[in-house]
Amino acid sequence: MGETASSEVTQVAAATSSQDPEVGLAAVAALRGLVEVLEALQVENARAKGWSWRQIAARLGVTKQAVHHKYAGRRFGFRRQQR
Amino acid sequence: MTQRSEHASRVLDLARAEADRFGHRYLGPEHLVLGVLRDGSSGAARVLHAHGVTLVAARAALGRLAERGLVAGPRPSDAELLGSLGIDLDALRQRTEQAFGAKAVGWAVREATRARRRGLGRVPRTPLRDPPLLIPQVLYHAGEQARTLGAGEVGPELLLLGVVTDIRTPWPRCMNNRWRRQLHASLGLPKGYRGAAGPLLATLGVDLDRLGEAVDAELGGVQR
Repeated sequence: MGETASSEVTQVAAATSSQDPEVGLAAVAALRGLVEVLEALQVENARAKGWSWRQIAARLGVTKQAVHHKYAGRRFGFRRQQR
Repeated sequence: MTQRSEHASRVLDLARAEADRFGHRYLGPEHLVLGVLRDGSSGAARVLHAHGVTLVAARAALGRLAERGLVAGPRPSDAELLGSLGIDLDALRQRTEQAFGAKAVGWAVREATRARRRGLGRVPRTPLRDPPLLIPQVLYHAGEQARTLGAGEVGPELLLLGVVTDIRTPWPRCMNNRWRRQLHASLGLPKGYRGAAGPLLATLGVDLDRLGEAVDAELGGVQR
């Protein structure tokens, strides 16, 4: 019984292309959730490898202040605890 | 917080399955009631059965609540949404965890979704994390009851008692913040959602006072 409902949902997603705002917008929101996590991962990795904020910002296409403001501070506690 | 018993974890898994069945991308108290019923082997399920609540009836009632707009309607899952863009979520998750390690991914997920004062570029949730548990108050009340009763772990009965207590207790004001409102909106929940277990049990004609007393009696039996 559990499968019927979820397969219906799958059909909804498959049948409606991204022309349908309902699916298209939700897909964009899911993508944004993905992007934020991947960005945090990559920035953290770059910092651990000794990259400067300026270098990271250049690759991300933002100013160094922007990336510093977003990722500096107490956040890099994860790596610091590891060392 | 008091630990959950194995039985309670099983009930939570079943509740997740029920949420999935309705196309709900979160776990609320209403799904917990369904999970208890679907498990069926606990004292909590016996109490619900004694009050004339069956799994079929409860599912139908939740379906009606969804039609009335008290809970979210069915939505495609993140994996399906990303699939429509040509992204394989499972493969992506595996590859990231291989490259950076599960711990670093977990850290990044927390980092991207945590509540921030300025809310700068942050998201309420991410496809890389399981659907959110919207039952903090239920777990809190269950843990408090466990402490009062001197129980070592939270079982299904205490979870149900937590649900009942949650319905009767207004949410603290700290639960109404921008981050939580954003999270609820992103899940398609109506404004002012505080768990739909109350309306669900009301639709099924359950008297909360009597249900609470029955669960209390059941717990007394379990303790002795």
